[in-house]
Amino acid sequence: MSLLGKRLTRVLLSSSILCFFAVFAGAAENTSQIVQVKIGAILASNQGDEFDARLAPLEKQLRVMKYRSYRLLKEESQKVQRKGNATFEIPGGRSLVVTPQDSGTKQLALRVHLQQGGKPLIDTTVRLNSGGNFLLGGPPHEGGALVISISATAQ
Amino acid sequence: MTMMKRCEDIRDRIGAWMDGELSRSGAEEVRVHLESCPACCEERRQLEKLQASLRAVLVAGPSNVSFERFWSGVEQRINRKRVWHEDFFGWARDLSTPPQLAWLVPAVIILVLMGVFSLESFFPGSRLAVRRNNFAAVESIDGFGRNVAVLRENETKTTIIWLYQNQEGEDESTGEKTDASPSF
Amino acid sequence: MEFSDWDLVQKCQAGETSAFQELVSRYQQKIFMVVLGLLRDREDSMEVAQEAFFRAYRKIKGFKGGSSFYTWLYRIAVNMAIDAQRRQKRNPLEFRENMDGVLEEQNEVEKDPFSNAHDKELRAGLIAAINDLTAEHKAVIILRTVEGLPYRDIGEILGCSEGTVMSRLHYARKKLRGKLKAFL
Repeated sequence: MSLLGKRLTRVLLSSSILCFFAVFAGAAENTSQIVQVKIGAILASNQGDEFDARLAPLEKQLRVMKYRSYRLLKEESQKVQRKGNATFEIPGGRSLVVTPQDSGTKQLALRVHLQQGGKPLIDTTVRLNSGGNFLLGGPPHEGGALVISISATAQ
Repeated sequence: MTMMKRCEDIRDRIGAWMDGELSRSGAEEVRVHLESCPACCEERRQLEKLQASLRAVLVAGPSNVSFERFWSGVEQRINRKRVWHEDFFGWARDLSTPPQLAWLVPAVIILVLMGVFSLESFFPGSRLAVRRNNFAAVESIDGFGRNVAVLRENETKTTIIWLYQNQEGEDESTGEKTDASPSF
Repeated sequence: MEFSDWDLVQKCQAGETSAFQELVSRYQQKIFMVVLGLLRDREDSMEVAQEAFFRAYRKIKGFKGGSSFYTWLYRIAVNMAIDAQRRQKRNPLEFRENMDGVLEEQNEVEKDPFSNAHDKELRAGLIAAINDLTAEHKAVIILRTVEGLPYRDIGEILGCSEGTVMSRLHYARKKLRGKLKAFL
């Protein structure tokens, strides 16, 4: 290997390492105020054996509940500032309010409030990894149960 | 040191002594021992015979090996036009010699791991990105009088918050009836 | 005026191919003998030796004089010879006797040390025993027996410590003696 080749190799290797560190450092130091909240309202029931193909990414999670049928009723995504409210209309006259709390970039704390006809059904604060999700279910709907998948990603 | 252990120690060093690689004191120690130990002396004799045999087998007389055309063979290689991939494979081969491998292999592994873990930053939600622990931690919960269950399923790393109906089996506000209950 | 190896290396780095030719001329025989000791085939050894010099030519600009030129050169040649052994379709450790009359020539010059039947058996046994050594153990035996190199230089060539050279030699000799006990 010529001297130039060795230098070039060292430069390329050092640059690659620095680039990757920059990505990590960037990711770590970025405390963006914007959070993208995505919800999916799903009807879970034992009527029929349908599995909505749009729910494929969530299949493993949904099958935990052992319903026979899952249908996506609604999907919506909103960007919201931390401490701001993202409000989603949920089938059955319900509404879901998601409020990202102050936290880091890798982990998010979400305050989730579900109400129906002005009456609160559940209020919970959940901490999850950015990009992760959890399921909130139980309210009856059309002979089955409503399951809401809630995910959030720090921008 | 017992006699046997002493002989063992000397025998371990006879080869190096014959090669002239021991320190002065070490060499003297071996020499003195050999003068008085027939067993170790025999060991030395065998080694000397082995050395002589090895030389006879390995060191061929070069009298009929001509080196006249040796340089022209090297020169031909120097002047030959090489295609790009020969250079690349040569470079890769140089990198794969043991001393370089010692740092190259861990360096490559670290870079690959860093790349995989940083995929999430470049392609958020990508399938290729390593799935982090998806468990969500429930910090507080208020069911407003209803029973609530929190389930964490290990295999799929799923967190499920389940709001149970009232005991009457219908929802107060909507009047909806349902007999569908999950079976976790 | 005779230039030192380092002077010739520097001239070579400056682009003087004639300086490299001088280096080839100085070491061609030694390199050939070491490679021959490992490969035991004259044609192959010639090829590998020439290729080793060619590789040294391509890498010479990167040679900083941290070691002596000849240990650096030997290192290239030994690694290539070991690689060549591994590339062979047959048993990579096979110690072939394809010397094309080199040994016959030697018999004309000096008495063949294996002239009687007993010694001929010893030689055959020795060849088989060397075949059984790993590439690293074979290399130390060759470098010590053929070139008489000190342990420090052998260590530099093989990329290991003097202590490792000593223990490899000790192990290799012990193994060879174990297999040839009846003859020694």
